[in-house]
Amino acid sequence: MNTLPQQLANGLLLGSMYGLIAIGYTMVYGIVQLINFAHGEIFMTGAFGALTVYFYILPDGTPMAVAVPLMLIGGGIVAILIAVGAERFAYRPLRGAPRLAPLITAIGLSLALQEVVRNFYPGADRARAFPGLDATHDLGSITIKDADIFLIVSAVVCMAALAYFVRKSRTGRAMQATAQDPDTAQLMGIDTNRIIVIAFAIGGFFAAVAAVAYGLKYGNVDYRMGFLMGLKAFTAAVLGGIGNIYGAMLGGLVLGIAETLASAYIDEIPGMQQLGGQSWANVWAFCLLIIVLLVRPQGLLGERVADRA
Amino acid sequence: MTDTKTTPVTPAPTTRGVLPLPTAAARPLLLAGGIATAASAFLAWTWTAEFPGDLTINGYPGGLQWLTVVAGILTVLFTLASYDIRGLGWLLPARNTAPLVLTALGAFATTWFTIIAISVELGGLANLEPGGWIAAIAAALPLLGALALPQENTGNAKETFKASIAKAEKIPAPAAVSPWIERLVITVVTAIGLGVFTYGIDTEYGELFVGYLITVVFAMWALHTAGLLDRFSRLVAHNRSFTLAMGFVAAIAFPFTQTDDHYANIGVNILIFGTVALGLNIVVGLAGLLDLGYVAFLGVGAYTAALVSGSEFSRFSGVQFPFWASALTGAAASLIFGVLIGAPTLRLRGDYLAIVTLGFGEIFRIAVNNMDGDSGPDITNGPNGIPSIPDLNFLGFNFGQSHDIGGFTLGRFANYYLLMVLIMAIVVLVYTRAADSRIGRSWIAIREDETAATAMGINGFRVKLIAFALGAALAGLAGTVSAHVTYSVVPTPYQFAGSTPPNSAFLLAAVVLGGMGTVAGPLLGAALLYLLPEKLVFLQDKSLLAFGIALILLMRFRPEGVIANRRQQLEFHETGQLDVPEQRIDDTDDTAVSVTKAGA
Repeated sequence: MNTLPQQLANGLLLGSMYGLIAIGYTMVYGIVQLINFAHGEIFMTGAFGALTVYFYILPDGTPMAVAVPLMLIGGGIVAILIAVGAERFAYRPLRGAPRLAPLITAIGLSLALQEVVRNFYPGADRARAFPGLDATHDLGSITIKDADIFLIVSAVVCMAALAYFVRKSRTGRAMQATAQDPDTAQLMGIDTNRIIVIAFAIGGFFAAVAAVAYGLKYGNVDYRMGFLMGLKAFTAAVLGGIGNIYGAMLGGLVLGIAETLASAYIDEIPGMQQLGGQSWANVWAFCLLIIVLLVRPQGLLGERVADRA
Repeated sequence: MTDTKTTPVTPAPTTRGVLPLPTAAARPLLLAGGIATAASAFLAWTWTAEFPGDLTINGYPGGLQWLTVVAGILTVLFTLASYDIRGLGWLLPARNTAPLVLTALGAFATTWFTIIAISVELGGLANLEPGGWIAAIAAALPLLGALALPQENTGNAKETFKASIAKAEKIPAPAAVSPWIERLVITVVTAIGLGVFTYGIDTEYGELFVGYLITVVFAMWALHTAGLLDRFSRLVAHNRSFTLAMGFVAAIAFPFTQTDDHYANIGVNILIFGTVALGLNIVVGLAGLLDLGYVAFLGVGAYTAALVSGSEFSRFSGVQFPFWASALTGAAASLIFGVLIGAPTLRLRGDYLAIVTLGFGEIFRIAVNNMDGDSGPDITNGPNGIPSIPDLNFLGFNFGQSHDIGGFTLGRFANYYLLMVLIMAIVVLVYTRAADSRIGRSWIAIREDETAATAMGINGFRVKLIAFALGAALAGLAGTVSAHVTYSVVPTPYQFAGSTPPNSAFLLAAVVLGGMGTVAGPLLGAALLYLLPEKLVFLQDKSLLAFGIALILLMRFRPEGVIANRRQQLEFHETGQLDVPEQRIDDTDDTAVSVTKAGA
C-alpha cells in the first residue's frame, strides 16, 4: 500500500506518537527552561514497564483488552517514578546552576537509564518482542491496525484531557502561572516545586502511553529506542513552538507527515533518486528542524519571547 | 577557611587524634609503619604466580608491590619532614599534618587493595603467604599513627576527619631563588611527571592500573594539601613558556622510553582524543556552547582525508593529496560543516544548538552509513568504510616504517605520535592565543552572560560562530591524522555514545571532568577516559553505566572539574585587579563561593 492517503495516515500516526512524547519536553521546558534530555529514556522505560506487566505479572493468555489498560498503568507508573525521581534527585539540586550543568546531568541520566535496562533487564541487550495488536481494518484506500486505533484514540484523549486540565483546573492554572513567571507565582502562594513535579509526571505518563502504542504497533522494544524517538520528539516540540502544548502536538503531526512523505516520495524528485527510503527519513526530519529554525525560530505556534537574563 | 571560623573560642583545643592513642606515639608509629610497609613489599605475598605481576619472590618487589614501596617511602618522607629534618623542609612548607594522613591512607589503600585483590582472584585468604599478612599489618600501622595525630576536635568525627585532611591554610611564600633553579625544578618535575605517566600507560593488567590510580590520587592529594601544587603552579606562572616547552619535550620524549609500539599506539590515540577534546573545549569551555555532535567533525575530517588519501577503495582513488593538503582539506571540510550547522542555530537560545548538533551527529552517522551506492550516492562505501588508507609520506619520511633515531627505534605508531604532538602543539597554541585575545574574552563574556555581553557591544552571533567553526576545524585536523593511524575509516566510532572513546559523550565528559576552559583539564580527562576502558577490560560492559552515573554525580558535587579554571585564574593573576573582589569573597566562607559560582 503506497498510496498517498495511506502515507498520510502513516504520517499522522507516527506524528501523534511524536506529539505525545513532545508534550513531556515542552511542559518541562515551558516551566523550568530545561531540556530534559533523558525524556526519550523515560519513554523507553515506560515501554519496559508495560512489557514487565505483560510478561511477568499477568498470567499467560490474558486477553489484550484487559492487558493493554494494565500495561498502560504499569508503564505509566514506571515512567512517572523515573521522571519524578530524576527531577527530585538530579535536576532540582541544580536549579539555578549554569545552564550547561543540568544538560550534562541529563545526558548522564540518559546513558545511565539505557545501560541499566541493557544490563539488568532480562534479554534487553537486543530487541525484545512486545505483544502486538496486528488485526487490520480496511478503510477505503487505507489499511490500519488495531494498534493504530489505540494510538490515535489515546493521543486524542490525552490531548483533550491535558487541555481541559491546564485550562480549567486550579493546578493547571497554577502551572500556567509558573510557566509565565516562577518567582511571582511563588509569591502568589503557588508551590512551584509541586507544579514542576506534576509537569514531569504528566510528561512521563504521556511518554508511557506513547511507548505502549509504539510496542503494540511495531511489536518489539529495545533499550535504544528512546534515543531517536526522544530526539525527534524534541524536534517536534521545537517545530511547534517549545513551551506550547498544542504546538507540541501540531509539531509532532507535521514532523511525522513530513518524514513519511519524504521517505516515500523524495526519490521521485530528479537528482535525489538515491536519497529516499526509510534510511534517509531521519536526515530529512532534522533538515526540516534546521529549516524551521532558520525561517521561524519561535516555532509554528510559539510566540517570540525575550531571553531571560 | 579562616581561623576565626573553624577554631573554637578556647585557645587550647583538644589535641587528641581521631583515635584515642597517645599523641606522642603518632609520628613514631607513622615513621616505623612507613618503613615497615615499604620493607614488607620485599617479601613474598602469595604462593603462586597466577596473580599477575609475580608477587612470590622474597627479596624483590614485583608489580603492585612497587606501588606499596613508593607509597611507604612517601609516608616516611613526609613524616621525616614533619620532624624538621634538614633538607626535607620543602616537602611541608606549612608544617601541616594532612599530607601525613593522606600518604598513610594511600599506602594503606594500595597495600590492602593488593591483598584483597589476591584473596578475591585466587579464591580465599589461604592464598596469602605470611609476607602478605605482614604487609597488611604493616600498612595499617601508619594509618593508626596518622589517625592519632593531634587534631582539633570539632565534636563530630566526620568533621574532625575532614579537618585532618584539609589543605594548609597559609602556605608561606617560598624563598626567592634564581630563575635557573626555578627552571631546574620545573625540569625535574616534568621528568617525574613523564615517568609517572609512562608507568600508567605501560601498566600491563587492570589490577596494576587500579593500584597505580590509587597511589597517584593519594600522592597528588597529599602534595595538594601540603601546598606544593600551589607552589608549583606559581612557579609555572613565572616561567610559562619554559614550562610549555618542557611539557612538549616530555611529550616528545615519551616514544623514546617505549620498547613496544603498542604503547605508542595508546599514546597516539590519547593525543588524538585529547586534541579533539581541546577543540571541544573552545566551544564548550570558552564560549559555553553545548555541542553534542562534536565527534561528527572528527568524522568529517577523517572521511575527507580518507577520500583524498589515494586508497584504492576511495571514491576518488586516483587522487592522492600530500599530507599538508589533505590536512587542510579535512580541516576546511569540517569548518564548512561547522558554519553550515552553526549559522542557523547560533542566533537562537543555546539549548537549540545542543539538539541541532546532536541531530547533526546522527545525520552524519546515518549518511555515511547510507552512502554506499545502494541506499544513497556512492561516496563513503557505507558500513564497510574506506579501508587500506596508505601511510603518510612526508618529505621522504615514511610514517609506516620503523626508523632508528640515535639508537632508539621508532615504530609506526611512534611516528604518528610525534606528528600528533606537533598537531597538539598547534592546537594548544591556537587555544591559548585565542583565549587570551579579544575574541577569547568575548567568548567568556558571552558564556557568563550573553545579554550583558551583547549590551557591551559584542556581536554575539559572530563571536559564537567563530568559536564553533574553529572548534570544528581543529577536530577535522585531528581527524585527518586519525584516518591514517587507524588505516581505515568506518561509521561506527562517530556516534553519540559508545563504550570506547572517541564519541561525543566521552569527548564532552573529558572536557567536563578535566575542567572546562583549561588546557590541562581536557588533556587529563582525555587520558583518564581513554585509559580506563582500555585497562579495565572487565568493566567494559558496565563502563557506560558507570560513566553516566559519574556524569550526574560530577555535576552535582564538583561541576568545575578536576582542574578548576577559576582557581588557576586566581593564581595566574595574583595582583590582577579583576580578581581581587572575587578573592575576598573566596576567603570569607563557603556559601559566598557558591554564590560567585552560581553567578558565573
